[in-house]
Parts: sequence; structure tokens; C-alpha cells
Amino acid sequence: MSSMDSHSPPQDAQNAPKQPSTALRDPSKLFYQSDGVHRSIIASYWAVILLAVPLWWYTTSIERLSLPQSRVYSQAENHLRLPVRICLVAGDQQLAGQLQDSIQQHVAKASERWNGLKIDVLQQGQCNSNDGSYSVIPSDKGITLEARQLSYPLADGSSVSKLVDTLSALIVPYSAASEQEHRVAQYSPRYRLSFSLLNEDAAAGKAIIGWDVEQAINRYIHPILSRLSTLHNFTIESQVQFHAPLAFTPQELDVAYALTSEDLTVFVNSAEWTLSSSASNDPVLHFVLFIPSSDRRPLKIANADGSLSASGAFLLPQWGGIVIHNPTPQDVPSDTDLPPTDLDQVFSVFSNQLLALLGVPHLPVGVQRGVSEREALITDWQLDALLRRRALENAEGAQDTLRSIVKLVDQIENMPVGEDVKGDVQDALAALDKMYASSRTSLEQAFRYSAQALTLASRAFFNPGMLALLYFPTEHRVAVYTPLFASALVPLFVAVLKEFFAWRRQRKLLLANS
Amino acid sequence: MLANFKISLFFICNLCLLVLANSSEQFDEELSIKSLQDGKVASKFSFKTLLKGASPKDPRTLGTDDESQHYTLFPLGLGQILREYGVTELHLTLNAGNWNYGRWGYPEEKGVGPGAELWVWMGDGAPNSIDHRWKGLRNALAGLFCASLGSLDEQCTTSPVRSFSPEGVLPDWDLPHQIRHASLPSEHVCTENLTPFLKLLPCKSLSGIASLLNPHRLFDADWHGMGIHVLWRGKEGIEVRLTFQSIMDPSRSSSKQKQDWSLQSLFDRAIDRTCPIAHSSLISVSLPSSGAHSITPEPSRVDSGSAIFDVATVPKPFNAAMNWPSDFEYQYDTSLTPLKIQRTLKGSSQARGQLSLVIANHGQVSQQVVYLETMPWLVQFYLHTLKTSVNGAESDAVISNITYIPAIPHSRPTTFEAVLLLPARSTTRLTMDVTKAFLRYTEHPPDAQRGWDLPPAVFTPIHGGQSQNATAGLPSERIYTPALLVDLATPDFSMPYNVIIFSCSLMAFLFGSIFNLLTRRFVVVHVGSGKQE
Repeated sequence: MSSMDSHSPPQDAQNAPKQPSTALRDPSKLFYQSDGVHRSIIASYWAVILLAVPLWWYTTSIERLSLPQSRVYSQAENHLRLPVRICLVAGDQQLAGQLQDSIQQHVAKASERWNGLKIDVLQQGQCNSNDGSYSVIPSDKGITLEARQLSYPLADGSSVSKLVDTLSALIVPYSAASEQEHRVAQYSPRYRLSFSLLNEDAAAGKAIIGWDVEQAINRYIHPILSRLSTLHNFTIESQVQFHAPLAFTPQELDVAYALTSEDLTVFVNSAEWTLSSSASNDPVLHFVLFIPSSDRRPLKIANADGSLSASGAFLLPQWGGIVIHNPTPQDVPSDTDLPPTDLDQVFSVFSNQLLALLGVPHLPVGVQRGVSEREALITDWQLDALLRRRALENAEGAQDTLRSIVKLVDQIENMPVGEDVKGDVQDALAALDKMYASSRTSLEQAFRYSAQALTLASRAFFNPGMLALLYFPTEHRVAVYTPLFASALVPLFVAVLKEFFAWRRQRKLLLANS
Repeated sequence: MLANFKISLFFICNLCLLVLANSSEQFDEELSIKSLQDGKVASKFSFKTLLKGASPKDPRTLGTDDESQHYTLFPLGLGQILREYGVTELHLTLNAGNWNYGRWGYPEEKGVGPGAELWVWMGDGAPNSIDHRWKGLRNALAGLFCASLGSLDEQCTTSPVRSFSPEGVLPDWDLPHQIRHASLPSEHVCTENLTPFLKLLPCKSLSGIASLLNPHRLFDADWHGMGIHVLWRGKEGIEVRLTFQSIMDPSRSSSKQKQDWSLQSLFDRAIDRTCPIAHSSLISVSLPSSGAHSITPEPSRVDSGSAIFDVATVPKPFNAAMNWPSDFEYQYDTSLTPLKIQRTLKGSSQARGQLSLVIANHGQVSQQVVYLETMPWLVQFYLHTLKTSVNGAESDAVISNITYIPAIPHSRPTTFEAVLLLPARSTTRLTMDVTKAFLRYTEHPPDAQRGWDLPPAVFTPIHGGQSQNATAGLPSERIYTPALLVDLATPDFSMPYNVIIFSCSLMAFLFGSIFNLLTRRFVVVHVGSGKQE
């Protein structure tokens, strides 16, 4: 090691010719011992390392494409405002003005409820029945709905405020504070409706072993589904189970077995009942017809005051509906199919539960359906209100989700952002833009774009690729390879320093000599 | 409008379904119990649901919305999976233990390979490729049965057409049908698989024959296995058959050497209630051909050597029992099957080995069998070293019709299918050299030192042509060999950081030495003449 003495070569070079006796060649005369070669060896080592650094950086870096942050934030500032045009047919100028004022007051009082809506009252001349505006026609036959038309007895000024009440109940039937709101299932473009006939214990006898479910669905459920086809698609499945035990024992009373309200919260025994297939990830709305075991009939729901409720149906918010059906002993001598009258009863309850779960509003009290609307389950007013509600919800949901993605990616530096996430975010933004553009002209279009934006935004948010490296930060990798990097780099540094000092000493020597 | 069209289509579909709905579903359950010659008791539960008039989903319609599914007895969870992936025929078996063909004879259900085995026939022509659907199906079934079927990936998927021909009918769609087969011998079958299995039964385990399915006893059996078989019976409809087979040892629990059994002693349960929707519910007990024995209660009828009880009519609680007056005597050296197969992997090295197969045909006639070997890529064959001999004399005529699909490392397994001609009363030997792969460290299983389970070889006798002798009990079945265990070169997984640090130090040492050597300055030091300087 002493041979690394760097000031010796020049002396050796002078001394060497004076020692002809040694047969050894002078090492410093060897070409690879010259200063230039030495330095280039060290330099090339360092060059390789420095050149490799970008490559190393590139291969170990996480793909983080930049998201359109500013667009997301500016988009989040926007708020969807859906126009609602009310056209006063056969009214004078004054009445229209009165109505407009009255509505403005109403909106100011409950601004939360009217959020996102822009109300215009139009005169008869400005009306265009094809653009989805509502018309109000004075009549003396009571309050009737006919497509997007409301016949209302407009006698004097006081009736205007009543008209406003009715209109607000029709246009914004949802109140944010209502408990009913929590029932409504979250929006999804596709739902799976699962109908189950559950016998608590068929082996105990007098069970219901079949039902004409297709026919009942055709009669009660399909009209609703086809009316709502602009909002959702549906997949339907049904099954019958013969052993569906409860997870608890109902209370035994003199006349019946009773379910308390606490029992209802744990009524669904998900460990024993397989209520729907798991073939897809669509949210499921369950409709359960529960037949108590023959030695536990009748099974009734107890009210809070201890009396027995006449209805055997209850709704689990966002999950589905349950109907408890007690076949009367004379009806069921032995195992049978469900009698048609009972089936009708059960499915009319199911259809009401379905409407409640999907958020279809009720018509306000006192409003009658016109002749043409008698058949339709859902009037245009109800459908429009639902569409507006879902569009506003989806728009807000999409904006929130996009904002969360950007925030999350900002916060977590190890989170990869791939091409698909970026594409989804961009597409969601584009869909939101289109939604704003179309909100003036078509409610349906605006709703479609809002749904698309929400779907894309959630897909981007739940992209599995974003989790890939979350649990293996870069620091770990560096820590693992420190034994290699540290021990290999030390000689490199030492060599450079030595060479540098040698060069300086040499220069000093040269300067001193000259 | 597209939506309108969709709705009308919906209604049309529903009309079709209404027509179909007239044809109902039928559920039959059966338990057969048989005392074996080695004193054990074989029992087989079979739950058959027939969806009358239904046909498998046409794969060409897979991209579009499916019509509503309404089932009464047919399991909804399984039915939806079958439709979602357009499966025509499906066989899933989950077994534990090796079936002893010599002592127990051929099983009533063919699929007795150790671990999990899944094979399906699917029609091509869907918007998604067959492999894509196969992957989805595996994962869906894994979720349904709580089994690690998700790991039946491309690395163990093969298409052995000759050994696994469809058991039902394949629909005439003018589409090619393809098979996908995979087995996972290391899968352990236990209660968590039985629970979802029971949920597929209309009466669960609460009434009827299914109430005998007591996991404490079933998983204590010497051999046990469950199977899910879906096949299309042509015009009859789609049949789902859920089976559970077990081999129990009655002498293990009793102090005396007797083969007496009863439902109570085998399953620790008796049948209390009838399953109300079962079309038929039968227990059949095979009666021994000779020797004194008694069966209680009196069977409903005796039919070709077996006593049959109709569970619907017998008094409850029902507990059938069979008794022998004398102690059980073990009989030696009577193989119930003409073929005896031994498969071993020889060689102690972690790089090379030899696959050896010894097949003894005790039968009076020669026998042709299809030999199927599906080997994961970590064991690769040297096909040129394949040697066959009959009774010690080398003979190439034994093996013919070889189909060989070589493995691709890290992706595809080997498929080796050949027809073997086994002469009467002979012993045939096959040997082939194999090489064992060196795995990437991420490819090792969690318990790497245990080794890898290799799937069983499958032998399928060929019928026709050969003179058949019914009394000789010629196999009409598949024969599975036991699984093999292969020991591969395994790194020390216990201290990965130590390994990393050691190897890093070594690398740094080598690097430092070479670097020093290159940048060192050499001088000649004159010892002794230093003073003159």
C-alpha cells in the first residue's frame, strides 16, 4: 500500500537510470502507470456512474402523470344550474309578475332546497311546450296533472301562494332534512334487483314452495323499470329458499309472535341467507318475502307502544324491502305456491318499496292525476324532479371525487398515476363540460353527462394501479442497498481525493521549480 | 330509440321465459353406503337438481344483457356464474387424500384427484376470449366456494381433450367447443368449503339427507371429497349434481374389530325431517354378497343387491344400521382393479430427476389407456429419454399417439398425452428424464422448503375395439395417481436482509479490489539501498 506514494514517481524517474544493477523495470514507465491513464480510469468510473444515475432514476421512478389540476379546481367552482320554466297560460301580466315574486320569496326562504335550480315564469306568448317547460292552466275543477301541465283553480291573489306551495312540492319534492332521504340508494347506472321468497323452515310444513314471480314482476315492476330506463338499467333475478332461519327468536305473545324494532335491524341473517348472486359488482336492491315457519305464525311487527302493526312490510334504507307474509291456516293446507291475491299484495308493496329506494317522489296531497296519467305510475313531474335531483347529485359527486383524486395524488408522493387514471380524469372533466353546455337545453342530456362524469371519476378514484407502490416506499429500497452503495462508493471518493491532492502537490512543485 | 328496443326485447325474453317456466325444476337426493373389503365404509351423497328444458347460454350472446333469471330449486349463485361466463359443462372437485383404487375399487364419482380440480367445456365465439372467461370463472368459483381456485392460473391450465371428454351433451351451435382443465393438488379441503357447498342445496343441511352432512365427521374421514358437476342433458335440461364422497373407518371408533355401522355412528346424526321439495330422497345400502349380516330397519325394498330406504316414508328419526355377528377379518392381496399404477420422481439432485411409471395390469385382457401428464413448467421433460419396457424387456410398441405440448417457462405447463397398450398380466415401465427449474425468488410459494405439489397423472381406459370382459371389472373410469412432491433449489427465505447484506459486502469487496488494482501506483522499493538515497 505504501506504493501509493504519489510524489515518488518524478524522483524515481530521476533515480532509475542511476541503478543499472537492478533488472527490474521502472513501474512508472509502464503506460498504465502514467498520470493520464490513471486519471482517465478514475474519470471513466465516475462517468459511468454519473451517466447511470439518470437511467437509475428513470427505472426506479414511479409513473406519475400530471393531472389537470387547475381544470379540476376551476371545474369545482362551477355549479350546475338547471333551468325550470313555468309558463302561465291565460294569465295576465300582473299574475305572472305576482307568481314570479312569490316564487322568489319562496326560494329565498328555503334556498337549500332550491339549490341548483333557476326558475323562470313565462307569459303565454313565450311558452314553448317542447322544451320541457311546465304550464299552469287556470281551471275550476281542482288540481290536476296532465303530462307537464298543471290545472289549478286561480281565483284570487291568495291562491297564488298556494299555487307556489304546490309547484314547489312538485318541482323540488325533496327536503334535505327529511329522514326519507337516507332511504334512497346511491346512484348507479345499473342495479341488480333480487327477489327472494324465503321460508323460515319449509320442513315444518305448510310452506310456500313457489310463486309466479315472472308474472308479478311483469305486472308491478317492469312498468316502473321502463319508466326509469333513462336513469338506470336493471338486471333481475329471483330465487326461492326453503330454510332461512332467523338469527334471533321472536318474542312470543298471546296472539302472535312479535318483532320489535330492534329485531328488525338484525332481521336479515346474511350469514345464512345468500340473497343475491355475486356475478357482478352492481349494487343490489333486495326484495325479500319472508314466510315464517308454521309453528311461528303469525309473525307480526310490534309498534313502539307494544301494539301489533297491521302491515308486515318494512324497508331497510339503501338495502331493500322486506315483506313478512303469514299465510292463513285455511289457505295453506300443505305446501303450495303463493296464491295470486297474496302475490299481488306482496308485489304492490315491493313496487312501492322500489320507488322509495330509487328516490321517486310522492305526489303532493291534493294533486290529482289527469285522465291520461291514471295509468302511468310516475308522472312527468315526478320523473323530472328525480332527474334533476340525480343530475345535481352526480355533478356534485363527480366534482368532489375529482378534487379528492387531485388532493390525494398531491399528498402521497409514492402514488403512481397511470395513463388510464389520467384519461379517466380528463374524460370526466369533458363530460362535466358537456353537462354544463347541455343543461340549458335538455335535462335528460345533462343528466346523462353527469352520470358519465360520476362513473368515470369514481373509476379513476378506485383504479387499483394507484395502490401498487403505496406500501413500498423508495426509502426502503435505498436502505436495503446501502451496504452495496456505501462500500463501493468510498474507494471511488478516496481515489478522486488522492488524485486531486497529488495533482495539486505536483503543480506546487512545478511552480516552485520554475 | 335504443332504450325502447331494449325494453321490448326484455319483454320478448320474458315471454320466452314464461313459456319455459311451465317446465319446472326437480330435485333428487340420494345417499349410497357401501362396506368395503378392507372394513371401511364408503358413502356418497348426491344432490341432483334438474333445470328442465333449459339450455346453456350461447356464448355469442354474452356481450348483451342477460334475461332475468328465476330459480326455485336451482342454486342462484352458481346459475348466475354459469351464465355470466357462458359455461356449457363444469366439473369442480375438492378432495383430500389419495383414493386407494386397489382396496376401494373405482369410486362412484370419477373425480378423485387429490386437491382441487376444475375442468370446463365452453363454446367459443363470445366477444371475450375463452381464456378471459376461464379466468373470470376461476375467480368467481373461488369466491363462491372459498377455495384458492384463483391460483389455477395459466401456469397450470391445459386442454386435454382426450382424457376429459364431455359427460353431457355439447349444444349444436356451429361453434367450436374448448376444454380448460387445471388442478391444484396442494389445495386443502375443509369446512370453509363445505359451508358454501351446503348453501347451494335447496334444503341446506337442515332437512332430508343433507342433514347428515356433519363437517366434524366428514372431515375426520380417511378420504373425503366434494364435487360440483354441471352438465347439459340435451332436451332434459341442465343438471347440477353436488356430490360428497367419503371413506370412513368404523373400526377406528369402536373398541372391537367390527365393521358395524349406523348413520348415527358414521355421521353422528340421524334424519329427523324430510326435505319437503325433494322429488325423491333415497338411501341405498349395498348388501354384502356373502356372510351373515343384518340391516335395520327393514328396507323399503331390496333392489339388485342393495337395500333402499325411501326417506320420505320411513319413520323419523331415521337411523339405518348394519351389523355383522362376527369380527371383521382382513383379506390380503385382492386388488379390486386390474390396473395398479405407481408414479415416482427419482433422483436426489435439485436440478435433475427421472419420472418413473410402473403400471401393472393384473387383468386377463390387454388394456388400452390414455395417459395424461400435465406438469407445471418447473419440471420439464426430456422427451428423447422416454423409455418403455414390458416385463423388463424394452419395447417401443407400448406407447403410441403421443401429443406433446412443451412448457414455456413462467407461463405454460407441459401437456403430455399418449396411448399405452398394456398387455394382459404384465408390468409396464416408463421412464423419462426431467429437469427441475430454478425459480425467481418471487415465484416460490409461502412454505418454500416443503416443495411443490405436482398434479396427478390421469389414466383413461379406451373402450371399444378391445375385447371387453364385463366380469373382470374393466375400468370405465378415470384413474388418478397420487400427487408428487418435487424439491426445487430454494433460497434461504428466513433472513433476506442478511443475505442481501452479505452479497452486497462481497460485491463491494470485489469491486474495491479491482478498482484499487486499476488505480494503484506501483513503485520499486529497494530494500537495503534506501540509505544511499
